[in-house]
Amino acid sequence: MDRPRPDLTTPGLLGLPLAWLVAFLLVPIGIVAAYSFNVLALGEVPHSFTLQGWSDFLHSSIYLSLFWKSVELSLIVSGIIVALAFPLAYYLALSGTKRKYILLLLLIAPFLTSYLLRVLAWKVILGNQGVINSFLFWTGIRSPDHPVSQLLYSRFAVMLVLGYIWLPFVALPIFVSLETLDRRLLEAASDLGASRLYAFRRITLPLAAPGLVAAFLFVFIPTLGEFVTPSLVGGASGYLYGNQIVDLFHTGFPDWETGSVLALFLLGVVAILTLVFSRFLQPRQVVAD
Amino acid sequence: MDVALSRTGAWILRAFFALVVVFLYAPIVILLIFSFNDSEIPTFPLSGFTLHWYYEFITNGDLRNALETSAEVAALSSVVAVALGILASIALVRRRFRGKAPVSALLLSPLVIPLVVFGTSLLLLFHAISLDLGVMTVVIGHIVITLPYTILVIMPRLQQIDVSLEEAAYDLGASRLRTFRSITLPLILPAILSAFLIAFTTSFDEYAVASFVVGSSVTFPIYLYSALRFPNQLPQVIAVAVVVITISLAVVVAAEVGRRVYERRLGELEPS
Repeated sequence: MDRPRPDLTTPGLLGLPLAWLVAFLLVPIGIVAAYSFNVLALGEVPHSFTLQGWSDFLHSSIYLSLFWKSVELSLIVSGIIVALAFPLAYYLALSGTKRKYILLLLLIAPFLTSYLLRVLAWKVILGNQGVINSFLFWTGIRSPDHPVSQLLYSRFAVMLVLGYIWLPFVALPIFVSLETLDRRLLEAASDLGASRLYAFRRITLPLAAPGLVAAFLFVFIPTLGEFVTPSLVGGASGYLYGNQIVDLFHTGFPDWETGSVLALFLLGVVAILTLVFSRFLQPRQVVAD
Repeated sequence: MDVALSRTGAWILRAFFALVVVFLYAPIVILLIFSFNDSEIPTFPLSGFTLHWYYEFITNGDLRNALETSAEVAALSSVVAVALGILASIALVRRRFRGKAPVSALLLSPLVIPLVVFGTSLLLLFHAISLDLGVMTVVIGHIVITLPYTILVIMPRLQQIDVSLEEAAYDLGASRLRTFRSITLPLILPAILSAFLIAFTTSFDEYAVASFVVGSSVTFPIYLYSALRFPNQLPQVIAVAVVVITISLAVVVAAEVGRRVYERRLGELEPS
């Protein structure tokens, strides 16, 4: 008789990964939901189901206007860097350069280095005593009494740093969609008398559109809840929705119920975006050639 | 005539590409310059060459502890994430089962969940079950965040491997486990190493989720974040930044080159 041997059955394969995500992702989100409905509460509050937290949130001008501020900033940042990344990806994929994978690696490498350290670099560059201002003083363009003070701790700084951080990453999905484009289509268009611009508008752009949408979402979704960069370079005017969530959990007067409502609302928005655009977000093979 | 680009167009795009590369690397180069600058604050004009800041950071015990803590967190979480990622990838690529779409959606969902939401959820979970915050709670969170990356790296490699190699092993009487050890594992080894490196570097660098569940422990990003608020530590932090960025760039390039070489060799061995 054979001893039963351990074998790789499907439940055996999926059991651990799924259990981990249920225990440490789904259950925690359930707990957030419980807090948002006051079923759980911080401190000795009587627990009863209520929609009060949600109703307060939907009628608050502060939280919703912060949310729209985050939406607006994320839209601008994502839009600008997709527009910047497109010509980069186009150059790599379609110019026929022989070194395209080396150039791609050159473009992406900064994304793989430390996030905080890249924020630090901009703090050093943009500060009132920073590289740009001290350079302006040194060369006499600006007097030290009047530094360009809007550089750091502003919405501009947040957008610049977020754009800097995400630009390399965004080029990747666009590159993949252009790389798989069949050049013969462009040749056919050219043979039939289409100009380059016409072929670009009617062939390249429509075929690259899924990659552009994916790239846009790859930036838009994470920046929507961003709080690290704003807290380091944003100052008061760069304070975003994500910072509000952190403060509701971390300050001296925590309000976990309201914080949970804000967190769950953000999660809901992201979930809807992901579902609506899911066909653009299919994982593709971008790492291997 | 080139159908995609005119000569002028290609020239403009090349110039634009060069400009963006300068924009991407200039801040890193500026850090490099100021890490050798003999001044408490990073300002022009430069005041002279020094290795003082590197010396200070090497002798800074808090900083070394933070680096060690992060190395420990990253090592633990990436080993577990890669192990879970291998299991999940095999199931998704090689097995048929009901509900594959929702299962793979769940496995990849940490990619899109806002870190601020995930961090707060974990904090509430650990509060609810009265688990003390510290290194282990960060490890738990980092495994969730890095799992989808490992799956995204391992899955495509599994798809490339000819199933008939594995079927031949079954036919010759090997169990599924034995087949995995002798056939599949060696073939996906490069992808496993890439997955490990990606998970390790992601965890080593992760601040957002750690900031919620780290308790009183100090990982490297947590140390960096607080150091960014005390300007007198700035020059040392810049020196650390230069070292960390250089190492991570070197590892990334070496890993990518190594993986391509190894997979090309394997490709020569595989029946075509």
